Amino acid sequence: MRITRRLALAGLPAVALPRAALAQPRPLRIGMITSLSGPFTALGESMRAGMRLLLVQSGERFADRPVELIVEDDQARPDDGVRKARKLIEQDRVDLLCGVIHSGVALALRDVVTEAQKPTFILGSANDLARKAASPYVLRPTKTNWMLGSSAARRAYETQSGARVVTAASDYAAGREYVGDFVTTYQGLGGRIGRQFWTPLGTADFGPLLTAIAAERPDSVYVFFAGSDAVRFLRQWKEYRLAGRIRLTGTGACFDQEDVLPAVGDAPLGAINTFHQSPTAPASAAFVEAYRATGKPLPGEFSTTGYVCGQVLRAAVERSNGDPTGNWAQTRQALFDAPIDTAFGSMPFDPRNGQAILDIHVNEVNAGAPGQPLVNTVVHTYPQLRDPGPNA
Amino acid sequence: MPDLLGYAAVQTLNALSFSALLLLNGLGLSVVLSLMNFVNLTHGAFFLLGSYVGIFWLGSGAPWWLAFPAAFLASGLVGAVLERFPFRQFYAQPHLMQVLLTYGLSLIFADLMRWGFGAQILTPELPETLQGVVFILDMPFPIFRLFLIGAGVALGLALWLLLDRTVWGAVLRAAVSDRGIVETLGIDTRRVLTLVLVLSAGLGGLSGALGAGMLAAYPGLDEEVLLLALVTVVVGGLGSFGGTVAGALVVGFALTFSKVWFPEFANLAAFAVLVLLLMLRPSGLVAPPLRRI
Repeated sequence: MRITRRLALAGLPAVALPRAALAQPRPLRIGMITSLSGPFTALGESMRAGMRLLLVQSGERFADRPVELIVEDDQARPDDGVRKARKLIEQDRVDLLCGVIHSGVALALRDVVTEAQKPTFILGSANDLARKAASPYVLRPTKTNWMLGSSAARRAYETQSGARVVTAASDYAAGREYVGDFVTTYQGLGGRIGRQFWTPLGTADFGPLLTAIAAERPDSVYVFFAGSDAVRFLRQWKEYRLAGRIRLTGTGACFDQEDVLPAVGDAPLGAINTFHQSPTAPASAAFVEAYRATGKPLPGEFSTTGYVCGQVLRAAVERSNGDPTGNWAQTRQALFDAPIDTAFGSMPFDPRNGQAILDIHVNEVNAGAPGQPLVNTVVHTYPQLRDPGPNA
Repeated sequence: MPDLLGYAAVQTLNALSFSALLLLNGLGLSVVLSLMNFVNLTHGAFFLLGSYVGIFWLGSGAPWWLAFPAAFLASGLVGAVLERFPFRQFYAQPHLMQVLLTYGLSLIFADLMRWGFGAQILTPELPETLQGVVFILDMPFPIFRLFLIGAGVALGLALWLLLDRTVWGAVLRAAVSDRGIVETLGIDTRRVLTLVLVLSAGLGGLSGALGAGMLAAYPGLDEEVLLLALVTVVVGGLGSFGGTVAGALVVGFALTFSKVWFPEFANLAAFAVLVLLLMLRPSGLVAPPLRRI
């Protein structure tokens, strides 16, 4: 038989393919649950963008194993989150799960993944996730609410110990935790707390609250609002001329670099917040540059968190030689053995609860470049804060 | 007690400015609901579209006051297109069908707007003249809110005059109560209904542009304002103009003063008042006289 060129070409793939397929390990499937609709839409899209950036930088491979990312929307509703988690685990057969913004979804998911024994990296921040809801299958590469609330109180007392502080926050689990931890720590140090104001999540009009704060005439106010609540609160804070008259401090989310600051003009200029994320933190410099190179603004909490989560996932795959799920207990131990280098800084884990130990920055909201939004600028750092954990 | 007096005065103004926003928002919905008996749940989408148009207009450097007519026109235009298809086919359908149709459309619009305007929170750059503040007995109150109150009163008055005191309004009300008779007079009632829907959508857009200064604009705002508009219209009473005004005032004051007096139970207190009102007056504060034929 004469071997024609055509025959030779037709035969080639038949010889070459099986070998390539052998060299190609089964792709690692990562499921991400985040909010792509509902109140946290913008945060969810940031989280996905951060994770995507890390995957692109890694060439879509961790430890030479191809990675597939499947993203599902929880609409910030616990029942939807649980449904999507089951879908990812049972139908898509993902190897690892990650994501979640809403604390309610995070706590609901904790039971599902523990029962299914599915290693999960939860990015919500309810204190209980590091305490009585800690799980051997859950790792937490982000902050707990206590880290921010208590460090804000420490900073307030260290810089202005005689001030009378009132608090104002959204009345749901996260707001209660931030304010609760702030008040307990501040009073524990000997500080004076005034009235505590609560408003429903999704408040359209902050006028009544701001008028009440103006009448109270405190030295300082500690706030927690997120997303559209934060934007409305800060804009109206300026409209009611409280800016400059009362010192404004708060949780980092209320001054999020990506989600909030671009929409509020110069209203929160000079405000102080505590956060595990800052675009000016040295550890995040490389990420900030790469993120901006994709045409995005300065990153905020959730784009950084998505990226960091990717870094931790990558470390899990690398430290288990490409098979993080074969022996999860061993992989987990490998992550506890040495800190991971992330955009949040060097990240050791607390072996008691799988909770990250983090640097918490004190950010001052300063003027940015002309025509650009304000910038969270690090003025102080509390290094390596560890949540009280199961002992709290 | 100048402090307490100023406090009460400013909280009252807060309530009035929120009521003005509710009124603007509710008017568009109630016009279509009461005059055409059509449940339009895309109203929130018209509002949000108006917010975005207003924000982009105010950011563009064009004369700021034109932002509001621009938002009116943009939303009105979308209303005109939707009226042609598919709203017109559903005027004679039961309310449940209308709800399904318009709610579905509102979801489509929500996605379209998220795709077009992005998911981030946007806020308007208000002109210098509206950024100021007045001090009332030593308590600050923003000028923008006075502007909102003024706009609410002016638009409410204009709409009332249009519907109650002009021939056009008379034709419209006649077309609603007996379309056949009006047709025999040689009036194209279909065009009348189109105009009402355009007016309603435009009002939604206009209130969106005005409301953006207080509420900002982001995906999901459409549903929030739709809910407020429905509450306003239902509490006030379907089918009457005065009802929407009363509804806006009651809801605005209830939501504001519940925050002042019971901040931890603000929504509970406010909505308990509204439920009580509905139980006492099931057809709304200002119920139109029942017509029997």
